[in-house]
Formats: sequence, C-alpha cells, structure tokens
Amino acid sequence: MPRYGMVIDLKRCFGCYACSMACKTVNHTPPGVFWARVLMGEVGTFPNAVRQALPMLCMQCEEPSCLEVCPTGATQKRDDGIVIVDKDKCMGCKYCIMACPYGARYSVDKWESYFPDGLPLSPLEEFQKKAWEEKSGVGVATKCDFCIDRLAEGKLPSCVEACPAKARIFGDLDDPDSEVSVLIKKERGQVLNPEFGNKPKVYYLFPR
Amino acid sequence: MDPKVNGQLQLEWGWLIAVYLFLGGVGGGAYTIAAINSFLGESLALSTTVGLWIGFPALLIGTLFLMVDLGSPSRAFLAAMKPGTSWIARGTLIISIFMVLSFVHLILHQFTKFGGTADGETIIDIIAVAGIVFAIGTMAYTGILLSASKGIPFWRSGVVPVVFVISATVTGHFAIMLGVALYGDIVATMEPLRTMAVEAAGLVVLEVLAILFFLQAAYRQPDSRESAERILRKTMFVIGYFILGLAAPLILMIIVYRSTANALTMVAIGAVLGLIGGLILRQAVLVCGALPTLNIAGFEFRRIHRPKEPKAGVGMLPPQ
Repeated sequence: MPRYGMVIDLKRCFGCYACSMACKTVNHTPPGVFWARVLMGEVGTFPNAVRQALPMLCMQCEEPSCLEVCPTGATQKRDDGIVIVDKDKCMGCKYCIMACPYGARYSVDKWESYFPDGLPLSPLEEFQKKAWEEKSGVGVATKCDFCIDRLAEGKLPSCVEACPAKARIFGDLDDPDSEVSVLIKKERGQVLNPEFGNKPKVYYLFPR
Repeated sequence: MDPKVNGQLQLEWGWLIAVYLFLGGVGGGAYTIAAINSFLGESLALSTTVGLWIGFPALLIGTLFLMVDLGSPSRAFLAAMKPGTSWIARGTLIISIFMVLSFVHLILHQFTKFGGTADGETIIDIIAVAGIVFAIGTMAYTGILLSASKGIPFWRSGVVPVVFVISATVTGHFAIMLGVALYGDIVATMEPLRTMAVEAAGLVVLEVLAILFFLQAAYRQPDSRESAERILRKTMFVIGYFILGLAAPLILMIIVYRSTANALTMVAIGAVLGLIGGLILRQAVLVCGALPTLNIAGFEFRRIHRPKEPKAGVGMLPPQ
C-alpha cells in the first residue's frame, strides 16, 4: 500500500492560481472554499525580503489533529494515509476546523451563487451544486482529499496535473525511488510549522 | 481586514457557541453553588432551590443553541462516539450525565417529599455530590474545549479552563442572586444576599486576576499576541466585560454588603451586568481566535488571510 504525499517546489511556483482553479473545476467547491489555495506572503525582512507564493492544501498529516478531535468518527485516515471526511457521519460541529493549524478545512451551510445581488444559480452552478452535495455535502466539514476519485482512475490530483510550472509533484513517500522521496531527500524538503507535531505529508522545497 | 493581522481569524464559531459555553457555565456554576448550599443548612434553602431551577434549564437551553449551530443536527446522536480522543465526545458524556443528575435532583427537591426520610436524604446527598463533580466537569469542559483546539494558539492555554471555571462560578452565583432578588421575600432574603454579595465580590476579584494572567500569558506568546491585542482593542470587551461586567458588579456588590437598607434593585442590576459580562467574555475569546502564522525553516509568511467576502469591485456587476 502506498503512502501518498506531495512535494511543492516553491522555487518554481509563481502564484498563477491554476491549482486553485483546477481544484474548483474538479471538486465543484462553492464560493469561499479553496481546498487548494495560494497564499501570498512576504518572506524575510528588509533588505532581503521577497514576495513568495505559498500553495496550501490539506497536509494529509501523519498525526492529524482533525482526526483526534472528531467526536463522531467522520474524519478517517485511509491505509494510503489520505485523510477523508465521511459526510454521512459528520454532524457539523466544526471542531476539526478549529483543530487544523493549517486552516485546511471548511464548512458550507449553503451553496451560494458565485454572482452577486442574489442572482439565481446558472445551469453550470446548478450542476456544481448537485455534484458538491453528492460528494461533499452541506453542513459538514470538507477538505482536500488528494482527488481520491482521480487516483482510483490512475490519474494525478487535479492541482498537480494543472500546475504549468511543474511545481507540484505527487507520489509514494514509502518508495525510496519515487520522485517525491528523491526530491525530499536531495533538496531537503521541509514541512510547514513542524512544531505543530502533525507530521504533514506535504513537503516544500524552499529557495536557499 | 486589518493589515497588521498575521493570522487568519476563525469565523466558524460565533454567538451561538458563545451562548452555549455561557449557559453551560451558568448551569454548572449555579448547580454547584446550590448543591453545596444544600449541605450548609436551612438558611440557604432559597438559594438551593433557585440554583437547582437555574442549573438544568440553563444547560438544556445552552444545548439547544449548540444544536442550532451544528451543520447537521440530525447526526448529533453520534457526538459521543470517540471519547478516547475527542473533547466534544467527552463533553457530551459529561454534560449528558450532569443534565440527568441535575434534573433528578430538581425533581426530588421540588416535587417530592423524598428528602423527608433519612434514606431519601442520603440518596439526594449522593446525587448532589455526583452532581457537583459533573457540574465542575461541565464548567471545565467549556474551557478545555477551546484549550484543546490546536489550530488556535490564543485558546491553546491551560489558563483558559481556569478562567472559564471561575467565570462560570461567578455567573452561576450572579444567576442565583438575581433569582433570589426577584422571587425572594425582601425581609428574609436581604441578609443571605449580603453574604452572597461578599462571595460574589471575592469571585469577581479572582476572575480579574485570572483574566489578566491569561491575557498577559497570551501576549507573551508570538502566535497568540495578535489575538491578545485584538481582544484588548475590542470596545465591547473593554467596556462591556471589564467595566460593566466586572468593575460595576464588584462596586455594586460592595455597596450592597455595606448598605443597611433594602438593596434588591442594586443586587439585580449587578447580577445582570455580571451575567452579560460572562457572555461577552466568551464571545470575545471566540471571535479573536486566529490561526498561527505559517513558517518554513524559520521564514515567516506574513499578511496571510482568507477573506470571507470578495474584495470590493471583484465579482461585482458593472454599474448600469
């Protein structure tokens, strides 16, 4: 059984948001929900400050705090290490959202239109709403699941496939010859805030 | 969005959860005081009755607020499935047991002559002792729920449960005083109310010390400093909690204690202000919770936020 993980090369990422858009297209996330988001930050201090894009997604932690706090057992970790939410068990207490230090979880009470002023849903939005309700559900916690449906079809997660700079690499962390394992070892892949102790499986290659 | 904010504010838990935590605290505090008073003699019988009448209903109403906040309340029956790791599951069990005990205690105390016999009195005493344990557990749970949230450094402090337990005791005390002042006989209740006013003043002083320690500890931690600054900039917190919710009741309770005349109105005003202060404290602590700043290898990512609303001009229709 593989143990899936991702490497994000920050030297390559230029903040085009293609990952965010691809995720939205595939997972039909409603307005305000970004399973694959890109944060823009300033790194360092003057005079050595640079603007840096930081793509974020669920870190698929080895020791997920969301799993620990979930009272109903809706949050589960699969054998391949991917953390998922069983929408039929989630009661929508939002405690997992408070427990995730990476801010990767969302809760949607209602699928609202992308367009302002109370316009009715467009046919595309109607389709997206239905697809979202079938897969993720309303009133429950939702999060990135490394596109498990696509993985089952032998495809890569949508954000990885869409990245024009090839800044995202996906693979098996247990395979020492996989590209992710080699990159983590060779380029000293680092995780976000290791002090949280969640042991994320998304690694970043940082400009040195 | 304030450009100085590094962490992203939590937006999921608001007033409904604040009211739930507040009423859980009031219920636990009122019951604890009522049950302790039941062991201390007949002179405190009225405060016992009032406290029992506040304890169970407050918990029940508080739970309703939680249910309204749940995204899928029809699955609330699953809430206690993982008590091994989840504080919500543990809290559900604690509150459920406490609700049963406080309800049984109220029924036996108010509607039966069960306490008239020696055996009956022993059973009520056992229920009261178990009730006190679970009432304290409920009060502590409202704080532990927050302090166990890894994603919000401001809440992730051992002081939060201490503050919430003290505040719950204070609000429970004020709730009983309000009930006694409203429904008690003026001549008979003024003397016990003076004693309760001294106790309330002492508890408020303890709460002031605890909240100052909590804010000072939060300010010293880089990850929670932003939240500490934010809560102290909130007018509602400074005026509504510190001045009207703590200072004013403290002064009124001292006046009540020193007054020789009938001071029921002053008791009622002080108690109401103290109760409102307790609610504001919880709401302010909730809404000022922010996610930690992200960093890789010592490099900090600043000005990170996830806007809930679209920026002005983005996604808007062009003017006609």
